[in-house]
Amino acid sequence: MGKQMTEMLKGTLEGIVLALLTGNPAYGYEITTLLREKGFSDIAEGTVYALLVRIEQKGLVDVEKRPSEKGPPRKVYTLNAQGDEYLEEFWRTWSFLAQRLEQLRDGGN
Amino acid sequence: MAMGWIEQVTGSLEQKKQYRQYKARTKQLPANYRTAIDALERYLTYFGAITKGETLVKMLEDLADLFEQSAATGTPIREVVGEDPVEFAETFLQNYSEGQWINKERKRLNEAIESVRKEEEVP
Repeated sequence: MGKQMTEMLKGTLEGIVLALLTGNPAYGYEITTLLREKGFSDIAEGTVYALLVRIEQKGLVDVEKRPSEKGPPRKVYTLNAQGDEYLEEFWRTWSFLAQRLEQLRDGGN
Repeated sequence: MAMGWIEQVTGSLEQKKQYRQYKARTKQLPANYRTAIDALERYLTYFGAITKGETLVKMLEDLADLFEQSAATGTPIREVVGEDPVEFAETFLQNYSEGQWINKERKRLNEAIESVRKEEEVP
């Protein structure tokens, strides 16, 4: 993954992960796999994990520990009401930013 | 209380116990994961300057969770920590910044600027 891509993803990955969790509770490894399927092919498991710790601390997800066949219990993340609200704001901000950038590219300002 | 002065000398006994448990967990990991987690622990404790034992232990336990899960699914180390392990360590660390010594200085800076702002308001 290019350096620029990494930098840009930093500010948006939180929203991307919350969007993926909408109506679809998942655990860490599943989320990484899902991201890779969506084209974020070089994303590291640890990056996603660090982000999940953060959104849990912020209270945007509910967490449930479920036993797994191999390895330690898995933490399953479900988007909660606060997370929904946060995601809505994320999309509003994203639309604003994308629109402004497109205008700049078209030579307007 | 007796516990009070002992812990002042030795640090929290409970946290020492938690740290020993963390060490026991990492010993169970396959050698390559163990090498990687030890290296991360070193970096996180050096760079992190976390002064709250509670926060430090929580961070290490979260790290152990990640590595146990990755070992169970056989995720290669490079896919766990990414192309830039320092970047990963620092992103990870941000989640535990409440225990960092530097926070006192951040607060001091904020307060200093705020007091200047208030003075500016006076006509």
